[in-house]
Amino acid sequence: MQLPFHSLRWRLQAWHGLILLLVIVALCGAVHRLATVHEFQRIDREVVAAERALVRGLIDAWRPADLPEGPLSPRFVFERIRAGDATVPSAVAARFSGTEPGHVYFVIRDADGKILLRSDNAPAGRVPTPSAASSEFSDNLRTVGRHRELHRATSDGVAVLVGRDISAEQDQMLRFTAWLAAVGLGVWLLGLLGGWWLAGRAIRPVDSISRTATRIAEGNLDERIDTADTDSELDQLGRVLNQTFDRLHDSFERQRRFTADAAHELRTPVSILLSETQRILRRERSAGEYHEALQTCHDTAGRMRRLVEALLLLARLENNSVAPRRERLDLAVVADDTARHLAPLAEERRVTIHTELSPAVCLGDPDALGILVTNLVANALQHHRPEGGSVWLRTQLESGRAVLVVRDDGPGIPGKNLPHIFERFHRADSARTGGSGHTGLGLAIAKTIADNHQGELAATSRPGEGATFTLSLPADAPDDTRAERDARP
Amino acid sequence: MRLLLIEDDPALQRSLAAALREENYAVDTASDGEDGLYKALETAYDLILLDVMLPGLDGWQVLSRLRPARGTPVLMLTARDTVPDRVKGLDHGADDYLTKPFDLDELLARIRALIRRSAGRVHPAIEIGLLVVDTASRVVTLGGAPVALTAREYSLLEYLALHRGQVVSRAELYDHLFDEDDDSVSNLLDVHVSNLRKKLGADLIVTRRGQGYIIP
Repeated sequence: MQLPFHSLRWRLQAWHGLILLLVIVALCGAVHRLATVHEFQRIDREVVAAERALVRGLIDAWRPADLPEGPLSPRFVFERIRAGDATVPSAVAARFSGTEPGHVYFVIRDADGKILLRSDNAPAGRVPTPSAASSEFSDNLRTVGRHRELHRATSDGVAVLVGRDISAEQDQMLRFTAWLAAVGLGVWLLGLLGGWWLAGRAIRPVDSISRTATRIAEGNLDERIDTADTDSELDQLGRVLNQTFDRLHDSFERQRRFTADAAHELRTPVSILLSETQRILRRERSAGEYHEALQTCHDTAGRMRRLVEALLLLARLENNSVAPRRERLDLAVVADDTARHLAPLAEERRVTIHTELSPAVCLGDPDALGILVTNLVANALQHHRPEGGSVWLRTQLESGRAVLVVRDDGPGIPGKNLPHIFERFHRADSARTGGSGHTGLGLAIAKTIADNHQGELAATSRPGEGATFTLSLPADAPDDTRAERDARP
Repeated sequence: MRLLLIEDDPALQRSLAAALREENYAVDTASDGEDGLYKALETAYDLILLDVMLPGLDGWQVLSRLRPARGTPVLMLTARDTVPDRVKGLDHGADDYLTKPFDLDELLARIRALIRRSAGRVHPAIEIGLLVVDTASRVVTLGGAPVALTAREYSLLEYLALHRGQVVSRAELYDHLFDEDDDSVSNLLDVHVSNLRKKLGADLIVTRRGQGYIIP
């Protein structure tokens, strides 16, 4: 488990928790507000009703006997109160009494603050204090301590205060708030738990991939990430990682094969050196014998060097990490150069090289292609037994491809060997001799160079009728038509 | 003793053949499996040195075709050194297995051991009365005193001593003391026998007229 702030799971959890908290708080807040407003609306209605009841009660109680029934302006009530000798009528007193929760009270004062009339249960010191902006019946409902009060100012300067005890409601509101908070917290915690579980489930494939990748990186290069039961986004990640591991595996394989090949192929030359030197040192020898033995050792050392160089070249060619050189070149020129510098070898083996070189322009690395053509031609030259015969070298453009063909009329390649000739160290029986400078890697190198150029190298042969090697590379576009035109007879 | 060396690398073949001849072995060579098999079936060699990676028939194939016909000791020489390869070689009928690159001394010692064992002998030194033939050091002593023998004389003595109690025909002696490139004259054998008798005593080697020689 990583440090909280670095772990994806923890961070996911924290953000999720925070957002959930905000949402829950907002929701609870809204609910609370709604409930509160609703409650106060009810309470206020009661207070207003109480105030009306007060005024009506006073009117009814002090209604002059000679005035008919019917609506009366409360003005005369206020004048009566102002007169100073009013007492609270019993009906009114009955309503505005008591101190149990929900009781109502009233206080009436005149313009200069003198209390004119009050109920017995009015809290001490309560005075109507309507707000400054007052009209005929301007209302002023406010909460003071445990009471909800209506402060009203009349046009004749009398101010009325009607209050209602709301302690019960307040307690209930508090309980409701607490309950709401508890529920909110509970929901939040539940959400956190659920989020934790969900995050865990989402992270689990990542965890699994990470563990598999670690195992692979630690050496078990055959294993691969199982992409079957991960989700689609992680599936892609798994696939990319698997491809990387494939390439890594191939790279290690190539390295391992190189060292195995090198060690293996060097065993015989080392045996020769050991055998010769140990033999010579067993007794006194003549100068001539020493000379001969040293000559053998020298030749063998040369052979080892050629082998090592060929292996290194092959390793370098196979290692595609360096961007290859690409220049416009003409295969005809390369073929011509090769024919010229292999002329001494051809002469030595009494083989004639015939060339039919038409321009075949392509993109490539001139040095590498030079090696390729040299290997093909040298191979053809060396396969002539008995000495003598011909090698044909042809280049041309053919349907967008630059083609080079090397044909010989030597003994050919037996059918069963044909699929293997481009393998490392494969040797056709006759050419097995390490002593003639043949490392067994010439064709493997040629094939790798062809592959690096996105080209194809193929061989056909019938035993007794020689062999034909065909190299085909993508031609270089612009000069295509011009060269093709020139090449046509 | 006559050996067959089947090894395709010409430089190695030359070097080994020369080394073996200097040790007084008669050595025939072959550069591929088929030629080697042909020679091995044709001639009764005392030992065959067989490379595994051969053109044409490889070493395994030569061995499997040789074994039903001949019990010649076979020492395999090869660059393949993994345990499965060794096991395969030994199970196919090879008597010993040596990986390249090898020590010449070790090769010679193993050859001696195989030849000794195939002649039914256990100990390198053969004692015949006062005569001791040490096949390991190739030293012959008579009553403790070393006797100087030529290479050919030693080879002849060694062969007869190893096959002590058996009559060895002249033809067999020729087959085992001279290789295919030798064009020795037939009575050279008699000269060597005569010299041995002079140096080691007349009753050591008995002539069985019409049959051959025997060290009883």
